[in-house]
Amino acid sequence: MRLRKNYIARTSGNETLLVPAGGSEFAGMVRGNRTLGAILELLRQDTTEEQIVEAMKKRFDAPEERIAADVKKALAELRTIGAIDG
Amino acid sequence: MTGVYRIAGHDIAIESNYETVQLLCEDYRTDAEPELTLSVSTEELTEILRKARENYPELPDSEFLPPDYLELAVIYKRLAERTPFWDTVMLHGSAVAVDGACYVFCAKSGTGKSTHARLWRQLLGERAVMVNDDKPMVHIRPDGSAEVYGTPWDGKHRLNTNTHVPLRAICILERSEENTIRPITKSEAWPMLLQQFYRPYDAEAMEKTMDLIGRLQTSFYRLGCNMELEAAELSYQTMKG
Repeated sequence: MRLRKNYIARTSGNETLLVPAGGSEFAGMVRGNRTLGAILELLRQDTTEEQIVEAMKKRFDAPEERIAADVKKALAELRTIGAIDG
Repeated sequence: MTGVYRIAGHDIAIESNYETVQLLCEDYRTDAEPELTLSVSTEELTEILRKARENYPELPDSEFLPPDYLELAVIYKRLAERTPFWDTVMLHGSAVAVDGACYVFCAKSGTGKSTHARLWRQLLGERAVMVNDDKPMVHIRPDGSAEVYGTPWDGKHRLNTNTHVPLRAICILERSEENTIRPITKSEAWPMLLQQFYRPYDAEAMEKTMDLIGRLQTSFYRLGCNMELEAAELSYQTMKG
């Protein structure tokens, strides 16, 4: 899976924004923290949920279950708005 | 028919099927060599209208734009897809200049930004110049400062001036019984900004748009207002600093 090309992410400070280009069914925006930013960064290339969790474990000092739960939740939200291919 | 117009500092040839487009752009006419040509074929217009009717079968014909205004709207969209590469973005809002500074009111459609801009004209007379009542362009410099440009796309009241004025503030407007105003952070303004700036269909242009809005430095306010003159007094006195 990967982030659709027409979804643009920007992280500034601790805030991450994800916005689709015009013409997308989802016309809103997603706001999150740096964790979301890191997940979106990893989704710029084809990857899997397991690979994202592994990469996040190396980056963030948090229990694995917590990271896995955060990733699952974020991916579910991104799928809901049609931001993920595959 | 073709005309060349200087819009937001760029010389653009517009080839149109209908004279309306040329007439509405007349104030922006130039003799310069165009750097970009925009056009739309009658077949494209027919197809756009067909799709719109298909999507909204319940609407009567009177609800769809006549072909000449549809052409103007399509030309606008095609231009808005290109301007991010000139560090310029289309903003849906009412832009008023007073004493060389531009104030832009943004709100959901129907909230009353044109009405509030009219109150400013009532309050300030000729000092208040309508840069554009619907779709001004904002050029954002590398340091984040911005210049607001008038465009021919000016909404139903036909209020625009071929001018450009430094941006002083963007004000998010909401209806309220009582008049209140407060400065807000850019972070608080983001959702409305992203709704009111034109979102290109092209991903690269969209990235550029995000970068431009990201570097925009100006003052942001949230105004709750009614339709009385005192609403304009409050917003003007607060934002002029």
